[in-house]
Amino acid sequence: MKNRLLKPMIFAVILALAGASLLLAQKKMLQVKGSDTMINLVQILAEEYMAKNPKTPIAVIGGGSGTGVTALINGTCDVADTSRDWKPTEINQAWEKGVKVTKFAIAVDGLSIIVNEKNSLTKLSMPQVGAIYRGDIKNWKAVGGPDQKISLYGRQSNSGTYVFLQEHVMGNKPYSTDMKEMNGNAQIIEGVLSDEAAVGYVGVGYVLDKATGKPMKGLRVLNITKDEKSEPFSPLDKQAVDTGSYPIARPLWQATNGKPSGDVAAFIRWEVGPEGQKIVEREGFYTIGAKYIDMNEKNFK
Amino acid sequence: MDLKNLKKLALLILLGAAGAPALSAQQTFNTTIYFDYTFNLTHDGFLTGTDAAKVLDNKFAFRRAYFTYENKISDYVRFRFRYDADNTGNIASLSGAKDDKLRPFMKHLYLQWNPDFISSVINIGMIETLSFKMAEDRWGYRSVAKTLLDIYKDITGVDIRQSSADIGVSWKGTLAKELRFGAGVYNGEGYSHPELNKYKKIAGYLQFVPTAGLSINGYVDYEAQVPTATLASPFALTYKAEAFFEMVPGLTVVGEWFTYNNDKFMNADLSHYNVGGYSVFGSYKVVVDKFNLFARYDHYQPNSTQSVKNQALIILGADWYAWGSNARLQPNVWIYTYADSNKKSDAVFSLTFFLSF
Repeated sequence: MKNRLLKPMIFAVILALAGASLLLAQKKMLQVKGSDTMINLVQILAEEYMAKNPKTPIAVIGGGSGTGVTALINGTCDVADTSRDWKPTEINQAWEKGVKVTKFAIAVDGLSIIVNEKNSLTKLSMPQVGAIYRGDIKNWKAVGGPDQKISLYGRQSNSGTYVFLQEHVMGNKPYSTDMKEMNGNAQIIEGVLSDEAAVGYVGVGYVLDKATGKPMKGLRVLNITKDEKSEPFSPLDKQAVDTGSYPIARPLWQATNGKPSGDVAAFIRWEVGPEGQKIVEREGFYTIGAKYIDMNEKNFK
Repeated sequence: MDLKNLKKLALLILLGAAGAPALSAQQTFNTTIYFDYTFNLTHDGFLTGTDAAKVLDNKFAFRRAYFTYENKISDYVRFRFRYDADNTGNIASLSGAKDDKLRPFMKHLYLQWNPDFISSVINIGMIETLSFKMAEDRWGYRSVAKTLLDIYKDITGVDIRQSSADIGVSWKGTLAKELRFGAGVYNGEGYSHPELNKYKKIAGYLQFVPTAGLSINGYVDYEAQVPTATLASPFALTYKAEAFFEMVPGLTVVGEWFTYNNDKFMNADLSHYNVGGYSVFGSYKVVVDKFNLFARYDHYQPNSTQSVKNQALIILGADWYAWGSNARLQPNVWIYTYADSNKKSDAVFSLTFFLSF
């Protein structure tokens, strides 16, 4: 048997090694996966970084925060983008698979509640937003709007924004089964633009018309109050987001397996540095404050 | 549960699922196929030297075709329905019968509930059992071979009564980052048969994760057996220990060992014997999402009193993401060796095509 086996086995091993060598010879591409809220921002950051560092190819893929988390746990990406914090179950899964989750805040988002421009409503409280998305409030009239059945637009459950709203605004209760589950922020905006009774939630970077710096025509970005007695604030108000007065602001995270090094560390350092933060602001999101700068620094060391 | 009741259960769960689309749009369909071109590298081995093997010394075969429907009914409840089809019908058969078609059968039919309590996962219906899911997940090449307990009967002919799916209920949870558990009660007949007796299989495991990427798992299952003239209250026990090493990015190394003690397993002289084995396997992602290598060594001891029956299986292979992660080529070689010096070794090469969409 030995003679019969020897040749095909040597051939197979040589073939496998040759294939591996060819693949290894290719420059490794830095893989970033996850949040759809962050995809446009991170793609632009990556493009500008690659323009300055052409020897570091970067691929940015969306799919939702859950996709990024799974990819980092399975070792199929270098950086996971999430628009929500990691869940304890995910941290546990990562631990089991030998992944030590290290997080960096790269931007801050004022999660924006949007309605069609034809809706006369200008503000909602957090409890009202929660009740609307749970399906407890079904008509705009109940919150001071027109006598019209509310049409809900949201994301799918692998979206970080879906989870963030559920945890921080809806009291961890289930979404209304009437909600239309859209694939991304852009689809939610399309839905709200074409539906007078619509309400949707998107990252603040998606509501601005880049040419004018104002909210997109046809959309109204609602002011939000923490409760019925509080003062309303807009997600477009940088100071309100920075100070925490706008109640549904959130950091946008990137996570790596352990302390990043090499190209990964260099890219994240650039994103959270002055050049990267300028782009963050230009794209309609907000720069990270002192608290997150300190946290990032600790996680680099 | 007899066949009639099984059909009722299936109907009830299907009716439940039929109502679910009104509740949620989160439904997915998936098809996964393992397709092989296999040829025998040897023609004088114990398996490859037989007349039947010589006639079939090369063949194309669909070894598995899964069709899975999943419905996320709510954030806490999911439903899964999976059809499976294997090649035990027309492709492996030389019967010449006209109707040896590749037939689908029901593999999974269950509800999954994820209550917000110690990260619990509770499955009810025709569910995945707890016995080798963890090892299979780490092996990751079900398209090439089942893991040790699952493949045991195929390799040795000894039925150790382990199945990847069964009818019953299971509960998995996380007590701490370092400690997880699982418990289950099933018919014990697997997905291939209805319940045949009043005895149920009870299974459980404890998994310790002392440091990131290192897991140690202890598993046990117990099932009372139907009494015989000589055995008043026989039972069967499986003990299994596993260690998973995943501390180096891209590298997975696993060791698993088990022993199966069934009171009914006796030699001709009525002496009792156990069944056991161990497996060591590993894989390495040479280029992530493009090219992996894997290797495995299994040792089978189908009769603890007759070491001449021992045998080993070596599997070597590569995994090339030829058309992306959903369409891959996995060339692999299986080498069988035997403790019995009268049996010559066998070697079989397969070019496996993995497709999932």
